[in-house]
Amino acid sequence: MLHFIGKIIGNFFYRPKKCNCPSCSKLTKSVAGISLLASGLLVSQDCNLTLKGKVVDLHNNTPLVGALINIIGSNENFISNENGFFFIENQCKGVINLKISHLSCEDYMTEFDLNKSSSKNFFMEHHIESLKEIIVSENKLKNLSLTANSYSLSEIQKDRYSSGNLANALGLISGVSNLSTGNSVAKPVIHGMFGSRVGIIYDGVVLENQQWGQDHAPNVDLNAFDNIRLIKGAGLLKYTGDTPGGVIVLESSTPKISDSLYGKTIVNGMSNGQGLNIISSWTKSFQSGIYFKAQGTIKNNGDYSTSNYVLTNTGNNEKNFNLTLGRNKILKKLKINFSHYSQEIGILRSSHIGNVGDLLRAIQSNEPFVINPFSYEINFPKQFNKHYTSSVEYSARNSSKGKWVVKYNWQKNNRKEYDIRRGSDKYDPALDLTLNTHNLVSNYQWNSSNISYDLGLFSQFQDNYSNPDTGIKRLIPDYVKVRLGSFFTASYSIFNNLDLNLGFRFEHINNLVQKFYRNRRWNDENYEKDLGPYVIRETLSQKLVKRRLIFNNPSINFGVKSGIIPSHEVSLNFFYTQRAPDIAEMFSDGLHHAIASIEYGNPFLKSETTKKVVVNLQKKEGDFQYNFNPYFTTGKNYIVLEPAGVERTIRGAFPVWEYRSISSLLKGIDVDLSYRLNKNITYKNNTSWIEGVDKNTKTPLINIPPLTTNNQIQFSISKWKYFFGSINSKYVFSQNQFPNNNFYTSIIDNGSKVSKLVDISTPPEGYHDLGIDLNWGPYDLFSNKISFSLTFDNILNANYRNYLNRMRFYNDELGRNVMVQIKINH
Amino acid sequence: MLKNIYTNSLLIISIILFVISCSKGEPVVVHEHEVFTRVVLEVKKDGEINYTKYTFEVEGHDDHGHDDHGDDDHGDDDHGDEHAEVELNTDSTYHVGIFFYNDSDPDNIEDITLEVIEEADAHQVFYEMTEIPGFSIAAAPDDTKDSNGNPLFLKTTWTTTSETSGDVKAYLIHEPTSKTGSARADFGGATDAEIEFEVHIE
Repeated sequence: MLHFIGKIIGNFFYRPKKCNCPSCSKLTKSVAGISLLASGLLVSQDCNLTLKGKVVDLHNNTPLVGALINIIGSNENFISNENGFFFIENQCKGVINLKISHLSCEDYMTEFDLNKSSSKNFFMEHHIESLKEIIVSENKLKNLSLTANSYSLSEIQKDRYSSGNLANALGLISGVSNLSTGNSVAKPVIHGMFGSRVGIIYDGVVLENQQWGQDHAPNVDLNAFDNIRLIKGAGLLKYTGDTPGGVIVLESSTPKISDSLYGKTIVNGMSNGQGLNIISSWTKSFQSGIYFKAQGTIKNNGDYSTSNYVLTNTGNNEKNFNLTLGRNKILKKLKINFSHYSQEIGILRSSHIGNVGDLLRAIQSNEPFVINPFSYEINFPKQFNKHYTSSVEYSARNSSKGKWVVKYNWQKNNRKEYDIRRGSDKYDPALDLTLNTHNLVSNYQWNSSNISYDLGLFSQFQDNYSNPDTGIKRLIPDYVKVRLGSFFTASYSIFNNLDLNLGFRFEHINNLVQKFYRNRRWNDENYEKDLGPYVIRETLSQKLVKRRLIFNNPSINFGVKSGIIPSHEVSLNFFYTQRAPDIAEMFSDGLHHAIASIEYGNPFLKSETTKKVVVNLQKKEGDFQYNFNPYFTTGKNYIVLEPAGVERTIRGAFPVWEYRSISSLLKGIDVDLSYRLNKNITYKNNTSWIEGVDKNTKTPLINIPPLTTNNQIQFSISKWKYFFGSINSKYVFSQNQFPNNNFYTSIIDNGSKVSKLVDISTPPEGYHDLGIDLNWGPYDLFSNKISFSLTFDNILNANYRNYLNRMRFYNDELGRNVMVQIKINH
Repeated sequence: MLKNIYTNSLLIISIILFVISCSKGEPVVVHEHEVFTRVVLEVKKDGEINYTKYTFEVEGHDDHGHDDHGDDDHGDDDHGDEHAEVELNTDSTYHVGIFFYNDSDPDNIEDITLEVIEEADAHQVFYEMTEIPGFSIAAAPDDTKDSNGNPLFLKTTWTTTSETSGDVKAYLIHEPTSKTGSARADFGGATDAEIEFEVHIE
């Protein structure tokens, strides 16, 4: 492996001696007269200094012969020799300005501070015709897919949510909502699907960590990326074939080839949670194509509040950084990246409960049981998450416009969950999982006339370790997973208004799982018959089962887009996906304190197959624009978590939730409208409706987002050149399609024993959330640009609960929040 | 060149696979802490030497499908195991102790009552009853007290008068918001153990 990487790096930095510049000889060798530069600023008259060096083609490191080096303000000209070498002598001390010209290269101007005799190499962008196209195409953001619609967040939208999390920011897009556990843990839901049905791709690799269950948010800092885009549906088989919900793509851009230093700093101050964030990113790039990027985020929030009370122990803090070192030579690129994400999240103190009796009391109470004064302190229960990423990416283009990319990525994710415990375990985590994932992917892209192809191979190795020192049985067992596969996509622009897209992906997944089963569960479920042969060890009360589970999953997509109707675009995409069940879905085994439930995996699940059709009718021009986006998904072996009885323990009774596969049907429509009234006012609306049912029992699926409509008025004022704002109104209806998972429990009430309904199913009422965004700037500040914004969330301080928040049994959503943001572009 | 690259990649993959296949060891058994598996009531009549021991080891699973939360399912957690019956005499006084154990590892049974006593401020036992005329439960003089002098109800004195019967629930509450109250809801906190029994006073 080291040898292989060494070879890549060796090739990359190897500089061939031969000049292969076709136009060298054509360069005129006539040189004008020579005179010395006499700078007025120059005091010293030490004029014996020399400057020597080489002129090199930036893209392939070949020496440029016959480059003309002119000292501006003088008639001194020098010419590089057959090795690209030049030698300038008799220069005075001080700054000299150089202009380097070469046929078929753009003139390159630079200044050089000559203190003593020096040597320096100059890199020139050698614009051959075909390269120009590449540079143009590299610099613009390519469509994620030729036929599937991609939605992106603008820089302003991204920065507005710099204090929040990825799911919050994506919530601006129609058809996207978030499934949260409290206010700091949120998973994006696309078209009613979340978790491993939604792929999060960061810098070309799938983020691994979502598969542990519902209350685990993706560990990624949206501030580390320049572009955030999304496709509803499995439209990117290059990255994933098992995400029928959608794909979220986070990318950082490659700096231009020039000597520059730039950056951005954002400071956010929030009233709710009394939080402060500082986010800063810097990029230093050189003419040689080398660049360095550093980005850091620090967030610190105290307890949040609803309109009526403090949410005790809901503070969070985050410390992230991201470092990138790269060399961009247009034809060859190397990028080395390291990132660290670390997050501590307080979980509402009152949500740590013991049994269903406690849950019933929490539901019956309007307020959490524990309400303490505001504090920044994070006590138990809490989550502590860390995610490290290291990656190396190398890409090379050849003359026939083919591009080859190879990438290695290592992710290490550690999650510790702390409960309220006693004795010697008090400070020990109740859950301590470490997931190591190695990815090696390679693909080759090429074009022939108007068809572009992409063929790739990928491999993944994943190791999950559950620390046994927690003193609590493993929620997720130890396992190793190997994933191997290949993809092929082809995009065909038949003519200007008809595009086709076809993709195929095949994955082979091999899981080796070692799980302890308690004898009681083993006997209750009659596992002996099917799992008996896999028992490798037995203790008095448990059996250790070692099983290899293999899944072979093909995925296909097909899309067509047409511009037949003038100023409209119509597209239809079909996605066939197969998803292997998650380890959590097959083997989870544990108690969820916040919902007082016991969750069991189902070891006999099969791959889930979904077929999804997404239609887009879009008008992108004129004052009135719209996008109608109906979709339809059917699922076979669709895995859901459903109640399966009650388990009685000495703690009390607990409802049991088990994974099961059903035949599902999900259908919905997202509508985006935009109307520009005049040059100062634009009205926007997006509305999403979705319905999901179990086809056999006709019962609705759980956690389907209710009908939601967002209205926005964007306004600016002609007189105030540096101001714009928006009023945002979000109305979420009550979900009336929900499964009834209620159950009864007996309690002693006023001296007699009664049976009480524990209503965990009925969704809360609809709500209206009104917000205002005001932005000023950018103003000049020395050589920087500065902008300000003032954001009001829930300005009416409304009181409501959210169906998609698992903490809805305990508390209202957040009350009013005022955020001040200062943004400086350096 | 391309072919070479893919050969290289495949080579690396196979090396990784090889390394993986040998590296994963067998997981160790988790020694489970804080699991309440057994609650014991020791009931001794005043003046007698012998006590009666009632052991609660409820663990079981009722399958009731996923959509039949009908009326006949009321009190799901009640059937299956018959409730223990605590037999008491009329006009008597009883000394009762409640003890909590973790016997998930039969070779190493932990007495969690000791931890409860050690962290007296963070725990409370509460007996909740249906209407049982003439029957009362009070903290015993030798009961453990927290730093505020509040008895934990680990040791209690039960007083009976006439013939009657009723249901009693005993809770061990962790980090209660209040240490006193007349109903479970008054205490807040998380229920660590909950047992239910019938008292028969004859």
